[in-house]
Amino acid sequence: MSQQDRVVITGCGVVTPLADEPQALFDALCAGRSALRPLTLFAAAGGGRRRAAELTDFDPRRDLGKVNVRPLDRVGRLATVAARRALAASGWTDERRAEHDVALVLGTMFGSVRTVTGFDHRALTAGPSYVKPLDFANTVINAAAGQTAIWHGLRGVSSTLAGGPTAGLQAIGYAADLVRSGRAGAVLAGGVEELCAESFLAFDRHGLLGDAANGSRSGPVPFDARRAGFALGEGAALLMVESARLAAARDAPVLAVVRGHGSAFDPRRGDDEGSAARALARAIAAALADAGLEAGDVDAVSASANGSVSGDRREALGLLAAFGDGARELPITAVKSMLGETLGAAGALQTLALVEALARGVLPGIAGLGSLDDDLPLAGARAASRRLDMARGLVTTTGFDGNVHALIVERPAP
Amino acid sequence: MRPSVVITGIGLITPLGSGRETVWRRLLAGASGIADVTAFDTAAYPVHRGGEVKDFDPAPYFERLAPASVGRASQLAVAAARLAVADAGGVLDELAPERAGVVMGTTSGEPREIERHNDRLLAGDGAAGDGALASRYPCHVIAGAVAAELDLAGPNAMIPAACAAGNYAIGHAVDQLRAGRADVMLAGGADAFSRITYAGFARLGAIAPECCQPFDRDRKGMIPGEGAAVLVLERAARARARGARIWAEVQGYGLSCDAHHMTAAHPRGDGAVRAMRQALADAGIEPRAVSYVSAHGTGTAINDRLETTALKRVFGPRARRLPASSIKSMIGHTMGAASAIEAAVCALAIADRRVPPTINFRRPDPDCDLDCVPNEARELEVAVAMSNAYAFGGYNASVIFRRSDG
Repeated sequence: MSQQDRVVITGCGVVTPLADEPQALFDALCAGRSALRPLTLFAAAGGGRRRAAELTDFDPRRDLGKVNVRPLDRVGRLATVAARRALAASGWTDERRAEHDVALVLGTMFGSVRTVTGFDHRALTAGPSYVKPLDFANTVINAAAGQTAIWHGLRGVSSTLAGGPTAGLQAIGYAADLVRSGRAGAVLAGGVEELCAESFLAFDRHGLLGDAANGSRSGPVPFDARRAGFALGEGAALLMVESARLAAARDAPVLAVVRGHGSAFDPRRGDDEGSAARALARAIAAALADAGLEAGDVDAVSASANGSVSGDRREALGLLAAFGDGARELPITAVKSMLGETLGAAGALQTLALVEALARGVLPGIAGLGSLDDDLPLAGARAASRRLDMARGLVTTTGFDGNVHALIVERPAP
Repeated sequence: MRPSVVITGIGLITPLGSGRETVWRRLLAGASGIADVTAFDTAAYPVHRGGEVKDFDPAPYFERLAPASVGRASQLAVAAARLAVADAGGVLDELAPERAGVVMGTTSGEPREIERHNDRLLAGDGAAGDGALASRYPCHVIAGAVAAELDLAGPNAMIPAACAAGNYAIGHAVDQLRAGRADVMLAGGADAFSRITYAGFARLGAIAPECCQPFDRDRKGMIPGEGAAVLVLERAARARARGARIWAEVQGYGLSCDAHHMTAAHPRGDGAVRAMRQALADAGIEPRAVSYVSAHGTGTAINDRLETTALKRVFGPRARRLPASSIKSMIGHTMGAASAIEAAVCALAIADRRVPPTINFRRPDPDCDLDCVPNEARELEVAVAMSNAYAFGGYNASVIFRRSDG
């Protein structure tokens, strides 16, 4: 593939509890700052001890101006604001978008389970004649993407990917394929998820949340021997994924090259460790093949691990299956240690962290990592950030229900 | 040259029945699958009709999973997938599981999980949360259920692109095959009948009181429906090598976004036109090559008029003579399943040289002066068919099918 045909990343927009722009977010990740704080959005059993990576002071009007944001629910607002920031960061101004359609591919696990639940609840209690049409528009799972497209006039291809915690990464891979096939020149790609009572309580019922109320000693620390579950987070991250040709034509700085990606499925959906590990290994192998690279070309991993007892283990075994003994020393980070499990947004946040890491030569640590799980072959995991010269990195995402996706980004040639 | 991708299996679960032969026969007969809604009490609603899948028993379609372990949309999807694989005659034989993948589309995922949750809340139980909202509700479980039931370990994607989702899924699956990421892809859409969807469309005043009459001057709206369709897709070379029956080739597709309004189409059909033109360009054909259009044709006053406008912009004066029918007149709007079912209709029209009618058509509308194949199926040499789908969020998707050379 010639340089001109390459797929590149030229800008990012984020909404996270740690920071409102990628550089500051990366600084916070390198400093090991955790976004976890006591829940305030809603009440949950366990009271003030319940923690999540919540956006406590998110105000879309700071970015969108003094406009009516009522038609957008929380997910729509998060996505619209992240898109605004990504468009600005990548130089896709209103004038440029008037000449060239920009596409949008958004990952989300739930859309808004809160909006749908509230809509149905109102129909039941007040009667179906009293539901609000604006709310109905937001019950479809692609609503946030539709709202974002309307807000910013994105008339190119538009799509939404689900898949749980793999969705954001799948969206970036889907976007890269759109660019390669010529279906789109420039694509905003990434993911979004809100924190809400419906999803929080649902995960809690499954005993998957590892905060203090559940007796966890370490909190949600990926790959830690004492991990007992994950913490939920929320936010949005969108990357501008475009052809190198378009980026060059407007002198846009290239942050990273998307080299390839791969998808696989574990038909046992986690019930069988070996099957799960093989699925991740297949996704990684597919990503390497797509990129024309070999396992030895990967310098670091931005992992999906979130503190889940079984999920982290499956991912570690998958890395071992993909990299063999090389996996043992592979530098690895897991930003969910600081951002929580942001579900549909997670893959995009993992990618963004890795893109910054390649550019700056610093890999964030896994915040809170005390004692690495002896069973996991990951001596390359560290609590603190470290300087590291990395040309290429691998992002892995593993879902709750068998979905796995891997993607490889590369530092641009100087 | 990029490889051709063909349809070798069709699985249908619809308000007109199950299975390719039954559904096709009844569509050609102009039968109606619309009846009074049974899924919930419609007393509080101003309308009462729906396109439900009647007497659906998932058990015969499940071998690995327990049917009750998944929601209704997943059950419908698994059933359609089983039928599609059976129709494709040994397509998975001697194929490594990791070489076969799944892409499904949906509008609402598993909304009945939310309905059940709210019912419990109002009954005074459930304030502590409902695990099903994390494990059974998120829509990716639909594609997951299909893959787990059929042991398919290749690429897996769920595209919740609302009422255009089936077309999105087919397009994405074709791309997977062209890129060599898999040898067989199951692609389709599924949605379950839901009081949430029904309440929303009723509130918009979009539901017809009796029947769906696309392009009729007296049309009164759409009829919500449910169903699932799955297509088996593979590269033509593989299909021919194994001697498979080929229904049609997926020649190209186009996607666009109106970026105009969440629930209303663009007033000049701009997005729909862009999707159709991109599909034509992707297929490498001129508009005159198209001999049949499976219209989105929901039966609402505005949508049918705008679709007519868009078709005229793409096909010119010929739009008035180009057969363009809507099977939503017979099965209602099956949401995320709709364009997947309509893709099957295009493939079958090509193979069978007949196109299904738009039923309930009585009075022509000067604003919808298309040939909607009124009321009776027609023999037609369909070399190329285009299927259009439009969705909330301003999503537009057009797919083009053609007779396969082999």
